[in-house]
Amino acid sequence: MTLPESPLGAELRVTGVRLAAADAFRLNEMGIRLGTLAHVTQHAAFGGRVIAVAGSRYALDGQTAALIDVEPVERFG
Amino acid sequence: MSCHGPASAPVEGRSGTATVAPIPATVRVLLVGGPNVGKSTLFNALTGARQHTTNAPGTTVELATGTWRTAGHSRAGHNRAGHNRAGHNRAGHSKAGYSGAGQGTAARGAAGDTTVVSATERAIVDLPGTYSLLARSADEEVTAGAVQELARSCAEGGGQPGVVVVVLDATALGRSLYLLAQVAETGVPLVVALTMLDLAPRAKDSPTAAMDPDTLAVALAASLGVPVVPMDARNRTAGGVSELGLAVDAVAANPTRVIGIAPPGSSFRSGTGTAAFPSGTRMAAWQQQDASLPDLTQELAHAETLFAWVEAVTEQVTTCLARPLSPGAPGKAAATSGHRSSGPLRRTFSDRVDTILLNPWAGIPVFLAVVWLLFELTTRFAAPIQGAIGQLVNGPLASGVTWLLGLFGLADSWVQGLLVDGVLVGVGTVLTFLPVMTVMFAALGVLEDSGYLARAAFVADRAMRSLGLDGRALLPLIVGFGCNLPALAATRTLPHARQRLLTGLLIPLTSCSARLTVYVLLAGAFFPDHAGTVIFAMYLTSVLLVLGGGLLLRRTAFRDVRAGPLMLVLPPYQRPHLRTLSMSVRMRVGAFVVRAGKIIVITMVFVWALMAVPVTGQHPIGHVPVADSLYYNVASGIAPVFTPAGFGNDHAAAALMTGFVAKEVVVGSFAQSYAVAEPGNSSGAQSLGERLRSSFTESSGGHGGAAALAFMVFLLAYTPCVAALAEQRRLFGWRPAASALTAQLAGAWVLAVLVFQVGSLL
Repeated sequence: MTLPESPLGAELRVTGVRLAAADAFRLNEMGIRLGTLAHVTQHAAFGGRVIAVAGSRYALDGQTAALIDVEPVERFG
Repeated sequence: MSCHGPASAPVEGRSGTATVAPIPATVRVLLVGGPNVGKSTLFNALTGARQHTTNAPGTTVELATGTWRTAGHSRAGHNRAGHNRAGHNRAGHSKAGYSGAGQGTAARGAAGDTTVVSATERAIVDLPGTYSLLARSADEEVTAGAVQELARSCAEGGGQPGVVVVVLDATALGRSLYLLAQVAETGVPLVVALTMLDLAPRAKDSPTAAMDPDTLAVALAASLGVPVVPMDARNRTAGGVSELGLAVDAVAANPTRVIGIAPPGSSFRSGTGTAAFPSGTRMAAWQQQDASLPDLTQELAHAETLFAWVEAVTEQVTTCLARPLSPGAPGKAAATSGHRSSGPLRRTFSDRVDTILLNPWAGIPVFLAVVWLLFELTTRFAAPIQGAIGQLVNGPLASGVTWLLGLFGLADSWVQGLLVDGVLVGVGTVLTFLPVMTVMFAALGVLEDSGYLARAAFVADRAMRSLGLDGRALLPLIVGFGCNLPALAATRTLPHARQRLLTGLLIPLTSCSARLTVYVLLAGAFFPDHAGTVIFAMYLTSVLLVLGGGLLLRRTAFRDVRAGPLMLVLPPYQRPHLRTLSMSVRMRVGAFVVRAGKIIVITMVFVWALMAVPVTGQHPIGHVPVADSLYYNVASGIAPVFTPAGFGNDHAAAALMTGFVAKEVVVGSFAQSYAVAEPGNSSGAQSLGERLRSSFTESSGGHGGAAALAFMVFLLAYTPCVAALAEQRRLFGWRPAASALTAQLAGAWVLAVLVFQVGSLL
């Protein structure tokens, strides 16, 4: 599923970034990479999302969020 | 000397034989860090008032430069020296975080190692914030270029020594460490300033939440091998400033390498001290001043190694800290790399505020309310102060100068005209701007420091996107409402040239605060009961012009422009700090007075000269009836052009003429024009309003209000000032600047005529 399809507050793992290579690279440099764990903290207008990654909050516009694939993190114990 | 310092010489120290590492009188310090990491706050704390802004060479990217002075002092190189933070913490390390690093730092934790004589003055540059040295914008290029230039200077072993202070955000270690790794790769001597420590406890899911700042600094220093100084830049006396100075001086004398980061290459320095970077590497490209860096694939592969290093350091630091700090919950601190589960989301204060301010339905109304509040402040709050200043200058001050001149027999001479009607009117105009500019800069500072400005960019992203721009374009456009000139410079933060050009063409349509003074004057004179509403309508018109102009350009000359993805880091909300804010406002207002003040005074003197020089009749200079002056003749020639817009009178035409030079001059020009037209009557705020009503009503055939509105719309839409035009030419070239000038004048005239013709029917 993609970020906009993810429920608020659920823990997610980034599994794919379908942005242009240069944009994906900058996202990596900012700290969002494959395997990164994130929570969606806020739904904004026009599909925008705010996600929490290791204490930081990132605002992503709707189109960008829709190109980031995530999966729910299964928790044990 | 080289960046790596000369060999130390043995001397007698207090604790026996020690070595002195001579520190040069002036060390060059570059502040490097990501956006919103407290870099500018740190810069202000280090420099105080000893700073000024300048453009990076060959660019319009603004840099803050300053002098960082500390009292001369020396320090025996052991942990308990007075400049260090009182010895050891519970982990057994120095609190300053650099004494225990043990990897080539100046003070190595044992008494008598090294004595460092602190430099007393350092030249410091606050470089634009960046996430990476692989630049994507002109601002980032400036930062990368400065680091690269310093690295080259270090490698060549000559010139002024330099140190990079990498500002590390304690709440976002991973992001900051990546930039640090890139800086370290260049081989420059570096020191780490650890900031945002006060916010770390509130970032509940941050790796550093609830960690002791000093312990974190020590752990980082141990992992990195370079000095790490915890900073509270808002507290100049006890905020780590002294410790940072010591660390910078120590590293300037005796640089160290970051552990785990490969040096620039074994051939980095040849035997002669000449740099020789491995061919094909990024450093080699930089060394050769080759703008074309290696391709993205190569960079991606290289970045992976840096990401791995970042993960390792983060893991090392947090694991280390987990033991002494969280003995009962070792997993908590260790779950910090961004790849390990941190469990359920722990909502922060900022998250709770964002549920309202970024809400899909409430976010945009809140944004509009904030903008409306901003301009209410600049009108209702600032206008009375402006009036008082104007009365003071035009009344007692002008009388005082006239009386003084009379003592020297210069009463009623052209000298009095020059000083009172030229220079003093200009100075008075500058002074009356101060309240508006102060309120505006303070309000923008509050929005920025509180963390809301980034949210505003996010909320407005959709509106910008329809213009082919992303949310970041909103920032220069918002700045444009303060002053168009810095806004044009701020377009360089946009990643693509076409986006920069499009934004740069729209910025003149944002209503800068200099125009506000004219709105206040005309709205107060023609719509005294609804002045606030009229002024708000002008700003709304400005927004509509930006959107309309943007859509028009997007569908014509800018079909190729596309918005890039919006990826913004949202800083946590915080209360703006009064001292930091006041310093920032003082600097900005000071820069305005210096930059704009000169132009305004010179322009007012020029306008006076136009009025003082006769073109018809026999009059001595300075005693020329308006009808016979050069000024009047030029304005009269232009005035008929504005007749369809209802303000085809000489005063309005003359004000627009001088307004082309700078909008700040328009009110002063009106005042001067009316004062000269009718000598013997002082042009106080009240009488000026009456005169405006009289002449606008006359030129509009009884529709003074509609003519005033048309005048304001023309003022909004035509060229902001000569300086902005020159900046456009510099950024984009003559052709776009000339095209923009033509389009602005034509568009402004059409809009003004439309407003008057419709308004006069109502």
